[in-house]
Amino acid sequence: MPTVVLMDVSLSMTRPVSLDGSEDFQRKNLAVHGLTMLFEHMAANYRLEFTSLVAFSSLWELLVPFTRDYNALQEALSNLEDYDKTCVESALHGVSNIVQQEWGSSCPCQVVLVTDGCLGIGKGSLRHSFHTLKQRGDDKKFPLPFPFPAKLFIMCVANAEELNMTDAMENLEELLHLNGGEGQIFTMDGPLCLKSVQTMFGKLIDQAYSPFHAVLHCGNLSSDVQVFPRPEPVVVDEEVEPMPRTVNTDLEIVGFIEIGDISSPPVISRHLVLPIAVNKEVDEVGTGATDELEEEASASQMAGKSPNFCVLLHGSLKVEGMVALVQLGPDWYGMLYSQADSKKKSNLMMSLFEPGPEPLPWLGRISHLGPISEAAENPYGEDDSKSPFPVQPQIKRSYAQNVTVWIKASGLQTDVQKILRNARKLPDKTQTFYKELNRLRKAALAFGFWELLKGVADLLERECTLLPDSAHPDAAFQLSHAAQQLKLASTGDSQYAAFDHNIVPMHTDFSS
Amino acid sequence: MKMFSVSHKTAFVVDHCPYMAESSRQQVECDVLTKSRAQGVIPLAPVSKSLWTCAVECSMEYCRILYDVYPTNKLVNYIVSDSEFHILNSWRQEDQSTHELMAALAAVGPPNPREDPECCSILHGLVAAVESLCKITELQHEKRTALMDTAERVANRGRIICLTNAKSDTHVRMLEDCIQETILEQNKLAAGSDRLMAIQQCELVLVHIYPQGEDTLVSDRPKKEISPLLTSEVHSVRAGRHLATKLNILVQQHFDLASTTITNIPMKEEQHANTSANYDVELLHHRDAHLEFFKSGDLHMAGSTSRDSGLKETVTLKWCTPRTNSIELHYCTGAYRISPTDVNSRPSSCLTNFLLNGRSVLLEQPRKSGSKVISHMLSSHGGEIFLHVLNSTRSTLEDPPSISEGCGGRVTDYRITDFGEFMRENRLMPVSESAHDPSGKLPAERAKAQLERHTRYWPMIISQTTIFNMQAVVPLANLIVKETLTEEDVLTCQKTVYNLVDMERKNDPLPISTVGSRGKGPKRDEQYRIMWNELETLVKTHAGATDRHQRVLDCIVACRSKPPEEEERKKRGRKREDKEDRTEKNGSKDTDDKSWQDSDRLKGMLDKEEQESEVIKDSPDSPEPLNKKPRLSTDEVQPPERAKGPVSLLSLWTNRIAAANSRKHQEFAGRINSVNNKAELYQHLKDENGMEVHENGKASR
Repeated sequence: MPTVVLMDVSLSMTRPVSLDGSEDFQRKNLAVHGLTMLFEHMAANYRLEFTSLVAFSSLWELLVPFTRDYNALQEALSNLEDYDKTCVESALHGVSNIVQQEWGSSCPCQVVLVTDGCLGIGKGSLRHSFHTLKQRGDDKKFPLPFPFPAKLFIMCVANAEELNMTDAMENLEELLHLNGGEGQIFTMDGPLCLKSVQTMFGKLIDQAYSPFHAVLHCGNLSSDVQVFPRPEPVVVDEEVEPMPRTVNTDLEIVGFIEIGDISSPPVISRHLVLPIAVNKEVDEVGTGATDELEEEASASQMAGKSPNFCVLLHGSLKVEGMVALVQLGPDWYGMLYSQADSKKKSNLMMSLFEPGPEPLPWLGRISHLGPISEAAENPYGEDDSKSPFPVQPQIKRSYAQNVTVWIKASGLQTDVQKILRNARKLPDKTQTFYKELNRLRKAALAFGFWELLKGVADLLERECTLLPDSAHPDAAFQLSHAAQQLKLASTGDSQYAAFDHNIVPMHTDFSS
Repeated sequence: MKMFSVSHKTAFVVDHCPYMAESSRQQVECDVLTKSRAQGVIPLAPVSKSLWTCAVECSMEYCRILYDVYPTNKLVNYIVSDSEFHILNSWRQEDQSTHELMAALAAVGPPNPREDPECCSILHGLVAAVESLCKITELQHEKRTALMDTAERVANRGRIICLTNAKSDTHVRMLEDCIQETILEQNKLAAGSDRLMAIQQCELVLVHIYPQGEDTLVSDRPKKEISPLLTSEVHSVRAGRHLATKLNILVQQHFDLASTTITNIPMKEEQHANTSANYDVELLHHRDAHLEFFKSGDLHMAGSTSRDSGLKETVTLKWCTPRTNSIELHYCTGAYRISPTDVNSRPSSCLTNFLLNGRSVLLEQPRKSGSKVISHMLSSHGGEIFLHVLNSTRSTLEDPPSISEGCGGRVTDYRITDFGEFMRENRLMPVSESAHDPSGKLPAERAKAQLERHTRYWPMIISQTTIFNMQAVVPLANLIVKETLTEEDVLTCQKTVYNLVDMERKNDPLPISTVGSRGKGPKRDEQYRIMWNELETLVKTHAGATDRHQRVLDCIVACRSKPPEEEERKKRGRKREDKEDRTEKNGSKDTDDKSWQDSDRLKGMLDKEEQESEVIKDSPDSPEPLNKKPRLSTDEVQPPERAKGPVSLLSLWTNRIAAANSRKHQEFAGRINSVNNKAELYQHLKDENGMEVHENGKASR
């Protein structure tokens, strides 16, 4: 989930913070301090996140395009200049453009708006934006909600009381509301100082940038992993199930499936599964400081050298061309597979399916997938030539069952011509002739189209009179038999017009 | 779309009154004469469909598309109305198919023009439709039962599509009022019943059908609210082609569908088999398949064209010569069932048959820049065709660190092939819902249980194991993991053991890893001891499962060679074990299998730990114990070793590593709470409910 940091560099951010101490801070300094903390955290614990930095006042400027280079972000932060007034709307437009250009409109993003809660004055102020919200044409729409799924985190270098004195808080809440309620407003507690800004950004980190750690299990084999990006809670149907579903921290493999059988399934998100060394923070045994350093170095080396289940699993999935089906929670599943980035680099990936008991129709209910050892005969065959997948639906779809549709005249004409074509080739085509005839009969009865039955009967009778002398005598018998049966059906007489009844060929014997 | 939106229930009410027998006056020429036969033959007079036939075939087309795209949970109740109402099917899933409906319609037949028009009315059907909307569906019942105390979240909404020939706008208003009243009445009834639900929202779609060439007596009206419970819209349409188009648009609106036209489909000409022309086929599917286009405003760029005077939009995607294969795993963000608009036209059936035969087609989105972007894929799964949406934007996961750079990335001798074999054995298959397992476990739970059995002892790298590198052990290793053994299986296992004894007698070499040891590695008899230890470890983890498993272990213990003093210690150990075994058997006869397995497994693990520590103690060169296994016995085991006197450099090192490792895992809850290093197992069995408390290892942060 890429992040855009939207930094307010308007003049009001340079207001000094009144402190009794000796230090002389501006609100901007506090904001930069908080962001530095965020970037440091990301560099250490969330380094695969793409982040960009945008500064805004009445105009906006992309200072650092999406990058994982946190030094670059840090450097840009230290070179911020001060500009005029705050204009949130245009800045949000900017964010919308930047994100769509880079990631399209389906990639979820996080926007961190850092401001002091002074939301501009006059035209271009947030207040003004909201006043005019309802009188806008399609071309001047407010940028929220973004076209992509987005969380908006508003970091206010101000405390709640201050924001409540004006309508700032109200406006910020409106902003969040326009974003579909996705996100949160953070304010500072107590006096504005380095400590309280740290606390505020600490909350943001906990909320949005804490790494997701889990344990991947395959029976008794297991591995500690980080799942990146963090899997976000999912709401399936807000009416029936309003509680968001979250991914378990224990990921249990259920079994394995061939890639061809799982067949490019739709997924709601993709994540890297990175094996991690178990936390060694609890170091009770009192060894010397130098000793500890040594241990640290050797520990990371050892982590590389001690066997890890993820690596084994990844290797075998890659070689065998299979995926592992993994349970993420009650009635929620995903798959693990090897994903190659280039020829040399490949990785263990996890894709999440839509929550529910049957995310992929061609697998059936996941809870009803069992071990092949229970089958009397290996469903994959002794030489892997067969497969128990895909699961066939009970009823065939219309395009797979030769349905009759006469909405267009051509449909009806084709069906009549088919019968006539076969009629001229009797008795060779007796079977096809009756098959087509019965198909037409069924449809005509269902649609209450008795006139057609009479019409086709007339056609068959005419064909009968047009038979050449060389024709087989059976042809005439069959044609008049069929015509008579259609006429009987067209009366609606229950004896002849039953839907499940079929006209059968007249029994003739010309062998003697 | 919510699960219980108005689209969950659709009641079709089709007018079967005498005037519906009237001709639509749209004539169909079904006798197309070929030139050669034209002489002297009087062509058959064209046939024309009645209003009834038009209404029925268009409503069937509506249902066909609906069932293709939503095979479940979008239900139709088909009602026919004349002097009384005829309900042709129910909300039940098995009644939801066009075949069922066609059979029922055939039984109804066309309207009888001689019936007394005074007795006939569409009202009978509309009242029946409201009653029917109050009836609970299987899905509503299932969800209500599942949600228990929040059952009120299950809503009851529905739509009535009425195909009729109304007399005037006043007539329409009368029908609306009547429905409104019936809803109120039925809701009162529903309040007192378990099988009925009050209607929270009803959408009436009234389609007035009139013959071609006549003026309509009823005016079109967009959706308006009659009451908080009822909205109504009126469509006045000429029978025939116009009605078909109207219902096609309605099904798209009602079920959030959108249209895609696949263009440039190469198809062999019927007449000239060696040439091919390009065809277009239009498909309907859920509109989310176009989500990316809608959002990016790329819709017009994507070749959207308006047809039928702007009423209908379709997105054009270009056929790409098939290049994809089933072994490729595409990053796909959605897959939606399709239904061809013109199902039995030749281009449509050629495309669908091509896909049903198992081939996939990639589709290209035309862009203004002229660059190629593959945005979709058509593919069939089990006789159903899906439009897959492929991700075509930049990935946020690009350039990740390779797995070889992370934990365990430097290890080179993983048992990749063996684990591949393991995966094949643990592949899944669909198990029919009726197949009930005596243990009451769902198939997926049984699959997990199998994984658990198969991994009780599973060294991850080649140098950690001897037995899994030996062909001679394979029969036993494959059998011992089974839940139950046959007499024959036991025999095979025993044979395997005898075979090993034989090998030892002949002094055959073993594939012992020499990694980490200096010189030639351990001596031959040492090698065999390591092998026997490992084999015993494997079998011990399963010995508790059944008596037959135990017999395999007994066989190993009886046959294997051991230094005399160790033999002695083992015997003592076993006796103790036996005693425990018996007391346990007496104590928990009435507990379920699962806890049996668990307790035995745990015991197995305890044994194994004991075993492993012995290995370390007796031979410094033996393979390292599995470092992923929980270490149950800690320092208590170590002291005697230290007391022994001179310690080798290796064991010093091993102890150090072991101490470091032991710090890396969380202490077991049992040991933390233990008294005198003894924890009581299965405390929960004492509780009345015996519910298993799921413990979350780590809280998500």
